[in-house]
Amino acid sequence: MLMFTRTDLSDLFRSLAARMAAEQDRLAELDGEIGDADHGVAMAEGFAAASRALIEGEADGQTLADGLSLAATTLLNAVGATTGPLYASALLRAAQAFGPHQAVPFARLADLIPAMAGGIIDRGRGKPGDKTMVDAWLPAVHAVQDGQRRGGDTAAILRAAALAAAEGAEATRAMMAARGRAARLGPRSIGHLDPGAASAAALLDSLAGWAETTVGRRG
Amino acid sequence: MAQNQAQRTPPPLIPLRFGEDALLWAAWLYYVDGLTQNEIAAQMGISRASVNAYLADARTRNIVSIEIDPDRYRALSIAQALRDHFGLQDCLVIPSGAGERPLIDRLGAAGAQALSRLAQSGDTIAVTWGRSVLALAQQLDRSGLQDLRVVQATGGTTAKIPWTPEACATRLAEALGARCIPISAPAIVSAPEMRGLLLSEAVVAEQMQVLAQANRIVLGISSLRPESTIHTSGFFDDVAMHSHYHAAVGSIAGRLISARGEPVDGPLDGRTIGIELSHLKAIPCRIGVAGGMDKVQAILAALRGGYVNVMVTDADTARAILASEGYDEVPGSRREGERPPLPERTGVKKFLNRPQDAVNETVAGALLAHEGVLAAVEGAPRALRAVRGPRPGKVGLVIGGGAGHEPGFFGYVGEGLADAVAIGNVFAAPPPDPILAATLAADGGAGVLHIFGNFSGDLLNFEMAAEMAAARGVPVRAVVTTDDIASAPADTRAARRGVAGNVFVFKVAGAACDRMMPLDACADIARRASQRCYSMGIALEPGALLDSRRPSFQLGPGDMEIGVGVHGERGIARVRLASADAAADLILDRILDEMQPAEGDRVALLVNSLGSTPQMELYILNRRVRQRLRARGVEVHRTLIGHYYTSLDMAGVSITALHLDDELVSLLDHPCRSPAWTQC
Repeated sequence: MLMFTRTDLSDLFRSLAARMAAEQDRLAELDGEIGDADHGVAMAEGFAAASRALIEGEADGQTLADGLSLAATTLLNAVGATTGPLYASALLRAAQAFGPHQAVPFARLADLIPAMAGGIIDRGRGKPGDKTMVDAWLPAVHAVQDGQRRGGDTAAILRAAALAAAEGAEATRAMMAARGRAARLGPRSIGHLDPGAASAAALLDSLAGWAETTVGRRG
Repeated sequence: MAQNQAQRTPPPLIPLRFGEDALLWAAWLYYVDGLTQNEIAAQMGISRASVNAYLADARTRNIVSIEIDPDRYRALSIAQALRDHFGLQDCLVIPSGAGERPLIDRLGAAGAQALSRLAQSGDTIAVTWGRSVLALAQQLDRSGLQDLRVVQATGGTTAKIPWTPEACATRLAEALGARCIPISAPAIVSAPEMRGLLLSEAVVAEQMQVLAQANRIVLGISSLRPESTIHTSGFFDDVAMHSHYHAAVGSIAGRLISARGEPVDGPLDGRTIGIELSHLKAIPCRIGVAGGMDKVQAILAALRGGYVNVMVTDADTARAILASEGYDEVPGSRREGERPPLPERTGVKKFLNRPQDAVNETVAGALLAHEGVLAAVEGAPRALRAVRGPRPGKVGLVIGGGAGHEPGFFGYVGEGLADAVAIGNVFAAPPPDPILAATLAADGGAGVLHIFGNFSGDLLNFEMAAEMAAARGVPVRAVVTTDDIASAPADTRAARRGVAGNVFVFKVAGAACDRMMPLDACADIARRASQRCYSMGIALEPGALLDSRRPSFQLGPGDMEIGVGVHGERGIARVRLASADAAADLILDRILDEMQPAEGDRVALLVNSLGSTPQMELYILNRRVRQRLRARGVEVHRTLIGHYYTSLDMAGVSITALHLDDELVSLLDHPCRSPAWTQC
């Protein structure tokens, strides 16, 4: 059976970090419109630090839960800001979901999405429609739940989740921000993409891409 | 005269957005659409000579002078853009204005105007429900049309609201002198079987038959936001919306639609009695009446889905809808006589090594500059403590936030001020670890007070650090500053940002701690200082980020941004550049309005550069601030003027006034010694 291993976790975070580095300028620009322009740096540095820590931690015979907890604390202390606590909570929830195992069946990879979204929502207390990253994560959760109910293959489920997140992020344009720094802009936040939703969609796209490549490589 | 002629026999085809004004229509076609007089004559159904007279009249009546009246121009051009973009038959956009009449009333009046223009004898007009729809019905004049029928588009509800489907239909029928056909069944029934039974009842079946014959519909558009009236409508009372309808963003006639305008299916479908969306879309004339910023997403969805082909809304809503569709230059946001923009300021010069090292290098430089005052906290590179601060039995004061505000925050660490500080990345809250390290370094056994500005990142990280400190037996109280009066209205003070007023709050709290007051008393006095602090900023140029060395937002050459924050975030409004006195007045008007000082009251004043505005300009502004305060009989107890709380190299100023009382005066006068504030 195809498995998702601790080594895969490092490899996945290397992909996520590369994607966040590539998105850094775009995210900074989006955040400059309605926030303080730090979101690009925060995401790029946070995931780069988490990725480095995961690669270094591999030698210690860590479980998936260990790895995800390490990623969480590393990311938190690398960036602070709002992004740090939200993604740290997301990754800690993912650590609980995967548990103290060296590997889980590959199909469990999709469980990352509801787990992470749960951590983000509980920590940030955001609601759908508030123009935050929740507006990308929640549609992705629903796509995963739909996919798992129908019994699709994992890469396809992750792709559907990525598409749902992208559409959700796009829909934030028409929303008036209710939380975070952009909320002070009120109506002037309308017409702009929420940078947190945009980075979430990029992460999920990168996750789907990684799964497709990995499945393809291993047959 | 041509004008009188036009009023006697109005051409039947004047598009709605021109009101009754044939002159305006002619002027628009000629000056904006660039049609020839012959083409206009053909389009308006009048002679070329009349067109000529109309155009002359339009000029003498100042409809057309150098420009079309800006409000009307804006509303018209937005209406046109909306119509073109969504392929609408017509579109009426009213000025948003801050008039005395509520938006709902004015939308209702505009909707009434649209309907009375479009309705014809023999029509069957379906009507949904809602506040805007009821407002429309209430403001409609009798039409003089014959054989009209008004039919309820959905079943009824028993909700205790004035704008039920029954009320809207009854009222509209009265106003039009039409026969009213209700739907004698609930909008939502308990089970699909019940729906089947009811629809087969002869009375209901006959009413639904009339509904099927509707050739017009007047519809409201509901948002699903928590504050929306739909949640009190009785439509969705017993349904867990988000478990079934997570994709829905709006509702029309009790049916739900997604952001793309597609119907969203769910358990209510089989239990809803009323018009179906596919049927609704087949009605030839579909007049949507809705506006308001909270509804932008829902209205956009309705337009994308094609449920509306005559849209009645207001200019702000319409502009936001167009902006959401990616219109860069929304009509009306352009200004007449704007000077051509200067070349964009790219590559702002800065003294930097590697941008990613900037914060650590700043901290290193500060430690060296203020050797006798600041010291490093062992094992925490982003935490500093006061050399002479923490002592046994004294409440520890910990402050912190992102870098980029220098001398905020470490400038306020020292004797009589804060005991320790946690420093984040540029404009980013510090993570919990350095906050915890600062908290432990400041702890003298009497508890620790955290003071920071009201930003989501600071709240999250300080909250986590406080939990970690509590787990180690150090009690923590937090005071969140909210002095930026531009960032939210007075009735939601808790939502406001904490900005330069921090400086006064730190000072007052630091003095309270130094006087060995207990933790809760220190927290109370800090909170009181924050609540009595009023700040507002104006930016002339955005600051430039370290990584990109580019401005964090764009500000035109003739513009200034009012109510700007301290992180390069945009303000509440962009206005024309004003003189120093006018700029000071803009701020003072707001501050005095909120503070309501009595004659003889005392304030402390902070005239603060946001980065690159020089001391000289601060003094010019201060002069005017003092004139205003003197005129109000307010005494200035102490003035700080200079770089106290910056936003990188933003050009601009913030003015803070702390409304003093005797205790605050005494604490403010208490001695202190820190890098940014020393007094004996």
